[in-house]
Amino acid sequence: MAEKIGITTTIPVEIVLAAGFTPVDLNNIFITDSDPPALVRVAEQRGYPGNTCCWVKGMYGAVKKNPYINKIIAVTQGDCTNTLAMVETLQHNGMKIFPFAYPFDKDMTFLSDQMQKLAGALGTTIEAAEGKRQELINLRKKLQTLDRLTWEENVITGQENHYYLVSSSDFNQDPEKFEKEVDDFFSEIKERAPLKKNIRLGFAGVPPVLSDLYRFIEEKGARVVFNEVQRQFAMNPECDGLLGQYLSYTYPYDIKGRIEDIKREVKKRGVQGVIHYVQSFCHHQIEDIILRDSLDVPVLTLEGDKPGAMDARTRLRIESFIEML
Amino acid sequence: MPDKKVSNYLKYAGLDIGSRATKFVVFDGEKVVHWASELTGYDPVSLSRKLMDGWLFDRIIATGYGRHLATPSIAPRYITEIKALVLGARFFYPECTAVIDIGGQDCKVIKINGKNGIPEFEMNDRCAAGSGKFLEVMAHTLGFSLQNFGREALQSPERLKITSTCTVFAESEVISLISKGIDRKSIAYAVHRSIADRMNVMIEKLNVSGRAVFTGGVARNDCMAALLRESLPELEVPDNPEIIGAVGAALEALKQ
Ligand code: SF4
Repeated sequence: MAEKIGITTTIPVEIVLAAGFTPVDLNNIFITDSDPPALVRVAEQRGYPGNTCCWVKGMYGAVKKNPYINKIIAVTQGDCTNTLAMVETLQHNGMKIFPFAYPFDKDMTFLSDQMQKLAGALGTTIEAAEGKRQELINLRKKLQTLDRLTWEENVITGQENHYYLVSSSDFNQDPEKFEKEVDDFFSEIKERAPLKKNIRLGFAGVPPVLSDLYRFIEEKGARVVFNEVQRQFAMNPECDGLLGQYLSYTYPYDIKGRIEDIKREVKKRGVQGVIHYVQSFCHHQIEDIILRDSLDVPVLTLEGDKPGAMDARTRLRIESFIEML
Repeated sequence: MPDKKVSNYLKYAGLDIGSRATKFVVFDGEKVVHWASELTGYDPVSLSRKLMDGWLFDRIIATGYGRHLATPSIAPRYITEIKALVLGARFFYPECTAVIDIGGQDCKVIKINGKNGIPEFEMNDRCAAGSGKFLEVMAHTLGFSLQNFGREALQSPERLKITSTCTVFAESEVISLISKGIDRKSIAYAVHRSIADRMNVMIEKLNVSGRAVFTGGVARNDCMAALLRESLPELEVPDNPEIIGAVGAALEALKQ
């Protein structure tokens, strides 16, 4: 079996695959663990402060629980310094770290250099990664179709959309198997009648740490037809090469590009209101100001902290928002 | 007051199970014909039944923190307190622009006409500071009755400030001010000011202006109303500010 390499967020996964490694998104192994809060506690017991984002603590706990991970690609620019500090605590204990940086201003040469550097460090080339990209295009196109079926044909729930798109950061550690899963899902929904007409919501921001968010939204008569960051993770396959693909990926760059993307999709998908999810103690909370100012539809800012089910107050917020719409 | 047993016209009821008090109102389509409020305690369902006892009405809607508890055994449906407050406030003040609500355990600001004419709201519910509970704890610490707390604060000789926003820390800060011999009315003022400052953050965030309605039990506190009027001079305080949510629920019952 290929050696595994941890990733802290979406990076050019094609390079990792071309180098013969299996990418493991630490966020995914944290949140799909049988007991995510226990992983957060592992970090807290190690001395992580109470006021640190739970994604960061969960990733640390996940690495500790899965000792086969002894290499991590850490995004040093374009993600957050909390993750960086987390990776440093791991490095301090012998973890091998490969840094990767996204340029804030989308500087092409900078990104290209970073990709070259990562490819070199992992023992592969950009050409080989480009080959991997070609191999993955079909799967990425299927994910695009899945997304379209969510908002245009209305046959896919917000939770399903979230799951498949968010999983594309590491393709659940096995692109082939994941593609098969997507195919099976398509057969499963072939006969599915369009879901009940309900209020159409958008979900912006980092993926939620809350386990029952999508289900609750649907119980209350609404449905998420747009998952912003998750959709970004799935990438646009119709880009010009690897560089183009990771330049059109909005998340690691300035908020302006994200806002343009959100506005366009909100309009296209008939989104009536946007839930801006923010993680407690995350710097993205500050960007909420810009997002609220910029969008033309009502915005509910929803804060999540610990992994698990939502508390009564968070439910009230969502319920009231849907009721108002 | 009309005989509660005789229903010769349609009546609608609203039940607002709040974290601190449960309110029940009967509405005849034009006015509130009866209302009652009691501390919620540990058994809100029995309390609700007690408040409703003997009253006849055609339809009832629940709201408030305990709305799920009342549904469907007491009320067939519920609405959230945000919607209930909007409906209730607009009934008494059709032109109102916002609702400022300070309840037992949280506070909210609702802008009635937000983006696309849809209400927008901000809630502070992460801690007790900025809630009725905070005032209650502070009144107790300073030896005032909750009823007189606002009035006494308004007579403060000094315009003091406290810096802590957490109930626990604020309490120790207040105790240290007492030990320094500072007039307790001035400390009372500072406590009110700290809540008003928190409310103002939400008011500004939603860009609220004009004729807002102050609801919830804390709206009976003169000092709170006076401080909020500094940023919202047209702020209205209804006669019975604690029942606005329950009235909103009754109005929803009428609509259906
Ligand atoms: S949620 Fe925010 S703080 Fe937490 S890992 Fe993600 S970017 Fe960093």
